[in-house]
Amino acid sequence: MREPRIADIVLNHIVNNLLVKYVTNDRLSPVFFALADPTRRGILGRLATGDATVNELAEPYDMSVAAISKHLKLLEAAGLVSHSRQSQWRPRHLEAARLREVVDWLEQYRRFWDRSLDRLSEHLQTLQQRAQRKKRGQKGRAP
Amino acid sequence: MTNIIDVSASDRPVIVITRDFDAPRDLVWEAITDPKHVAVWYGGPGFTNPVCEMDLRPGGIWYHVMQAPNGARYTITSVFEEVVAPERLVWRTLRDPDRNPAPPTSLNSVTLEVRGRQTRWKLVSLFDSIADRDLSSKMGFAHMIGLGADRMAAHLASVQGAKNDD
Repeated sequence: MREPRIADIVLNHIVNNLLVKYVTNDRLSPVFFALADPTRRGILGRLATGDATVNELAEPYDMSVAAISKHLKLLEAAGLVSHSRQSQWRPRHLEAARLREVVDWLEQYRRFWDRSLDRLSEHLQTLQQRAQRKKRGQKGRAP
Repeated sequence: MTNIIDVSASDRPVIVITRDFDAPRDLVWEAITDPKHVAVWYGGPGFTNPVCEMDLRPGGIWYHVMQAPNGARYTITSVFEEVVAPERLVWRTLRDPDRNPAPPTSLNSVTLEVRGRQTRWKLVSLFDSIADRDLSSKMGFAHMIGLGADRMAAHLASVQGAKNDD
């Protein structure tokens, strides 16, 4: 049996604290939190290629299976990963629709700024042309 | 003109967008901090901004109502955290209590950098997770937002009062 590493203990603490604090009507925050960690993004990447067990998911990482389980708990709480109850080995499954929601939201956010910056660019041109005309006008009127 | 988005480069949920404008920095600063200009471009073509009030100082409120082409109105309330003319503007969006689910709140920093005749506009949006909220409340940030929100409440009350006087 491996000695639990400090990182595992800290992660354990975070998971236990966060799982109870999740606000059920706030659908995106848990997903953002779940996506904020490279290990969890790696797990999602692996699951995107097909269902996998905890042991299989833990393989590429220098982390205990228990630590990977904690990461999976966060991903499950965020609705990004699921598993069937019947199976003894409980392979994990990626909930792509849930991930889509976040990607869609980010895309919407990006589009908002894209449109706004296009318009800002036009507005800056207008302001500069106006200033130019004013300058020329003043020169024309000068004695 | 460039537009770069990056959602995976950081351990925090972050979006980075940059855009180069053919305009001097002072003018870009004016266009992003003067409500009469912001109301022109915010949201993009087809969108209007019936309300844009900016109390441009740290702790000051940016109260904004945007109207989409279909008539839907969105209220966005933010608190300015840093105002360093003409180079850096930081604001935090506040949670909209009237929307459920509410969009994620974020801390947004815009920096303006002179690049020859152009100005580079760079936005970094850090999205809140519950972990961030916990951390920020420990660091006393929640108190600061609280102060801002009180000021906003007072402001909204005075606007309401003015309406009733009409």
